[in-house]
Amino acid sequence: MPPAEGADVPPTPNSNPNIPPITKSAITAMRHPPPESKESLRLRRYVILSFWAVAIFIGLPIWWKTTAIYRAELPLQIMTDWADGKICRPVFPLRISVEAPTLQLQDAHNLIRATQHALDDLNEFSAHHLRLMLADAPLSAANASQQVVISGGPGDRSDDEDIALSIRLIPIETGTAPRSILQPYAPTLDVYYSPNQIPPPSSTGSPLATFIAHELHKIFAEEQTLLAHLLSTTSNVYTAKMKSLSSETVTELERQSTRTLKYAPTYHLTFSLFSPTFMPSSWEIEAALQQYLSPLLETFSSISNFTVDTQVQLYATFSPSIRQPEYDENLKAWTLRKEDLSGFINAAEWPLSPSIGVSPTVNFILYVPDQSQSPLLVKESGANSWLVPQWGGVLILNPAVTGQSPMTLTKDALTPAMHTFSEQLLSLLGLPQSPASLPLRLSTLKRVRAASLLFSASSTLGALARLTKALKSIPIPDNVAKSVDTAIAHLQQSCSDLRDGRFQGALENARIAETAAEKAFFEKSMVGQVYFPDEHKVAVYLPLLGPVAVPLIMAGMKELKSLRGR
Amino acid sequence: MALTIRVFLVLLLSTLTLSEHTSNWAVLVSTSRFWFNYRHLANVLSLYRTVKRLGIPDSQIILMLPDDMACNPRNAFPGTVYNNADRALDLYGDNIEVDYRGYEVTVENFIRLMTDRVGEDMPRSKRLLTDDRSNILVYMTGHGGNEFLKFQDAEEISAFDLADAFEQMWEKKRYHEMLFMIDTCQANTMYSKFYSPNILATGSSEIDQSSYSHHADNDVGVAVIDRYTYYNLEFLETQVRDPTSKVTMGDLFDSYDEEKMHSHPGIRYDLFHGGEQAARSKLIMDFFGNVQNVEVDGGVKRNETEWREELAAIERMIIEAKRRHNESLYTYPRRQEVAEEARVLDTKQPLRKERAPRVDEDTGWKKQIVGAAALLGCLGIWAAGSWLESL
Repeated sequence: MPPAEGADVPPTPNSNPNIPPITKSAITAMRHPPPESKESLRLRRYVILSFWAVAIFIGLPIWWKTTAIYRAELPLQIMTDWADGKICRPVFPLRISVEAPTLQLQDAHNLIRATQHALDDLNEFSAHHLRLMLADAPLSAANASQQVVISGGPGDRSDDEDIALSIRLIPIETGTAPRSILQPYAPTLDVYYSPNQIPPPSSTGSPLATFIAHELHKIFAEEQTLLAHLLSTTSNVYTAKMKSLSSETVTELERQSTRTLKYAPTYHLTFSLFSPTFMPSSWEIEAALQQYLSPLLETFSSISNFTVDTQVQLYATFSPSIRQPEYDENLKAWTLRKEDLSGFINAAEWPLSPSIGVSPTVNFILYVPDQSQSPLLVKESGANSWLVPQWGGVLILNPAVTGQSPMTLTKDALTPAMHTFSEQLLSLLGLPQSPASLPLRLSTLKRVRAASLLFSASSTLGALARLTKALKSIPIPDNVAKSVDTAIAHLQQSCSDLRDGRFQGALENARIAETAAEKAFFEKSMVGQVYFPDEHKVAVYLPLLGPVAVPLIMAGMKELKSLRGR
Repeated sequence: MALTIRVFLVLLLSTLTLSEHTSNWAVLVSTSRFWFNYRHLANVLSLYRTVKRLGIPDSQIILMLPDDMACNPRNAFPGTVYNNADRALDLYGDNIEVDYRGYEVTVENFIRLMTDRVGEDMPRSKRLLTDDRSNILVYMTGHGGNEFLKFQDAEEISAFDLADAFEQMWEKKRYHEMLFMIDTCQANTMYSKFYSPNILATGSSEIDQSSYSHHADNDVGVAVIDRYTYYNLEFLETQVRDPTSKVTMGDLFDSYDEEKMHSHPGIRYDLFHGGEQAARSKLIMDFFGNVQNVEVDGGVKRNETEWREELAAIERMIIEAKRRHNESLYTYPRRQEVAEEARVLDTKQPLRKERAPRVDEDTGWKKQIVGAAALLGCLGIWAAGSWLESL
C-alpha cells in the first residue's frame, strides 16, 4: 500500500541503499536516441510494406487457392428442367403396318383412313398413339398417314423393329367376318373379312374399320395403362387418363411395380438347391436351364443380359424362427402358414448373395423337404411356390413318389420347377400379362423400361442439381460435369428416339444416360465431410497466423501513427 | 363435400399402397476403439444378432467394428464377446460377417457408405444398395458430445454432416423409411439437425446428459453393455419373438423407463410422414426384420404343354432371327466386318468390367522416372553440400 499523500514519511532512499534514488535530475539527464535518418526511416517503411505485400499478394492468394473448393460448372437449370419434365414429354407413336395385298390401293387407303379415325376417337391417352400405314408401299403410306418415315438408311437394324404390329387383311368367303387372330410368336394380327365389308370411298365409317380399331385398342390397352401409370407417378401431366382407371387396376399396378425388379442392364440369376438332408445331392440343372430357360433369356437380350450360377447346399434347413410345419389331414400333407412364408428363407445361413460382379442378384430357390415332412405345402392355397417381390422365387419340390427321394434330380423332375421359375422371372422382370403375343409384350416392356429409365435418369440429374445448390461446400470435379453433359445428350437423344418411334434406340440411349447420371451423382470425390464449427477454425488458424500477424499489425499501426503525427 | 371426401380417401388409399417396402437394411456402427470400450462392441453385436434373428440377411447388414475385442489379449475369454455377466450368449459366435473393421471405420467411410460414393472396386457386400423401397435401421454407439460423435478417438462426425448425408440419400431415393438409433452421451443432439423426411430418430440421452453402462462383468473386467441398448434389447428379445410379430414402434418407445436408463431418451417424430401417430404405429418388424409380402403362386397357371410349345416357338424364332441375320451378312459383305466387330465388342464389354483395374504402364514408367529424378536430386544436393563445406 503506498503511503498516503502528504503523510509525514521521509522519502525512501535510506531504507534501501543499494538502489540509487531516482531524482528529477537523473531523468532529465537521460538522453534521447538520435533522430532517425531519412534513409533508415524509409528503409523501415519499405521493409514493413514489403512484408505486407508478401502477405497480401502472395499469402492471401495461396491461402484462397488452397482452401477453395473446386466446383465445376453444371447446367443446373437444364438439369432441374429435365427433372421437372419440362424438356421432354415422352410420347409413344406406334407404327402399325397394314398388309392388304388383295385390296385396291384406293380401297386400302380408305380403310386405313377410316380405321385411323376410329382409333383416334377411341384413344384417350394422347402420349400413346397408333399410326396406321400401308405396307409394301412406304412412300404412299407415308403420304396417306401424313407422316414422315425416318429410318437410318437401308437395312438399318432397327428398321425392322420400327413397326410395332403388322395387320394382315385376309379376305374369306365363309365363316364369321370380321374376326381376328393374334399370332402368338410374331407381331402380326390376322384380320379376316369378307370382301363386301370394304367401305365405299365416300363413307367415313365402316364396321370393318371400327372392328380393327377396337381390336387394336384392346391389344394395346395394358401397355397404355402401364405407361399412363408410369407417367402419372413421375409427372402430373397425365392424371386424366389415370382417373379413368378403376381403383382395382391402380392397386394391381402398384402391386406390379412393387414386385418388379429395378431395371439393370445385367441381372445375375442364382439357382439354389437346398435340402435339409444329404439328398438329393446333385441335379441336372445345366441341361434344364439350357432347355427351359435360355430361349427365354435370349429373347430378353435386347432389354437386359443375364448371367447364371447355381449351387447345391445340403443340410440346409429353412429358417428356424418360423413355426414348424403342421400335418394337415385333409390335404394329406405338411403345411406352412402363409404368414410364415416371408420368414421361410434362412437368410442367416443360406449363402444367397454371391456378390459376383456389379449386377443385382435374382434368387430362385428349390427346396426339397425332409422325407418326414413331405409333401410340404402352403396351408391356405395348397400351392408349393411363391414369389418374393424384387428378390426372386421359392419352390418346394416334393418328390413325386413318397418314400425314397432321389439322389439326383433329373431334368424331367426339374421341369415343373423350371416352369414356375420362368413364370416368376417373367413376372419379376415386369413383362405385362397381355396381349397374347410374346413379341408384342416384349416390345411393350421395352417402351416401359425406356420411359422409366428416362425418368430415373432425369430425377437423378434433378437431385444432383438440388444438392449442388443446397450443399455449397461439396467439391464438384470436372468429370461430374462431363458425365452430366453425357447424360443430358443421351436423354435428348432418347427422347427424340421415342418421338420418332425408335424404341430400341431410346432404350439404349436412356440406359447410357442413366449410367452417366448415376456416375455423376455417385462421384467418389464428392464427399461432404465439411462441416467445421467456428471454434475449430479459430483453433486451426490462431496458432499459425497469430505469431505472424501480431508484429505485422503492430508495426503497421505504429508506422501509421507516426505518419499521422507528422 | 362427398366428392372431396372420396378424393381424400382415394389419396389416403394410394399413399397406403405406396408405403410398402420390399427390403430391409441395417447399418450398425460402433465407433470406439480400446478395451475399456468393450461395451460399445457388445452393443452393436447384440443389435446385429437381433436383426439377424428377425430375418435381415448378412448381405443387407453393414457391420462396422473399429476394434476386435474377441481377440484382444486382455480378453479372459478369447474369441468371445458377451453382453451380459451371465455369459450365456456368445455374440461373436461362428457366423458373423464384419464389413468394416479396424481402421476402416472412419467418418469418411461411413459417409461414403451412406451416400454410396465408393470406388468401383468396392465389393457389393460392403455397399448399401438400397432404393426407394428399402427401410434402413441405422444404429450408432460410441462416445459423443453436443452435436458430435467420436470415431476411433481420432476424428468426429458432426450432426450437420450426418444430416447432410441423409439428405443426399433422400434426394437419390436411397431409402423409404429410416430408423435412427443412437446410444452415446448427449445422443439426442445428434439427430437434432436432421431435415430429411421419413426419418424416425431416437437417442439415449438429452443434451448435457451422459448415457451409462448397465453393468460390468468382473471376470471380463469391464462394463459389458449400455443401459439404453440393454433395455431396447430386453424389449426386442421378450416381446418380438418371431418374424410375424405385430408389436409397434410405439410399444417400444413406451417401454423406455427413465428411472432404469438413468437418462432421458428422446424420440423425434416430426420428420416422419404422418407424424407421431404414423411413426408409433409402424411395426418393429418394419425396421428390425425383413418381412416381405410374398405372393403365393397357384390358381391361374398356364399348362405345361403350352409352356413347352412356347419355348419351342421361341427357339424357332431365335433360329429364324439368326438365319436372317446371317443372310443379311451374306448379302452385304462389307457390313459383315462391321457387324462382327460390333458383336465382338458387345461380348467383350461385360467381361471387361469384372477384371481388376489394369495398372497403366505409361504412368508406371513416369512415376519411376520421377522417383529416380528425385533421388538423383537429393544426391546432387548432398554432393553440393559437401563441396561447399570443403571450400
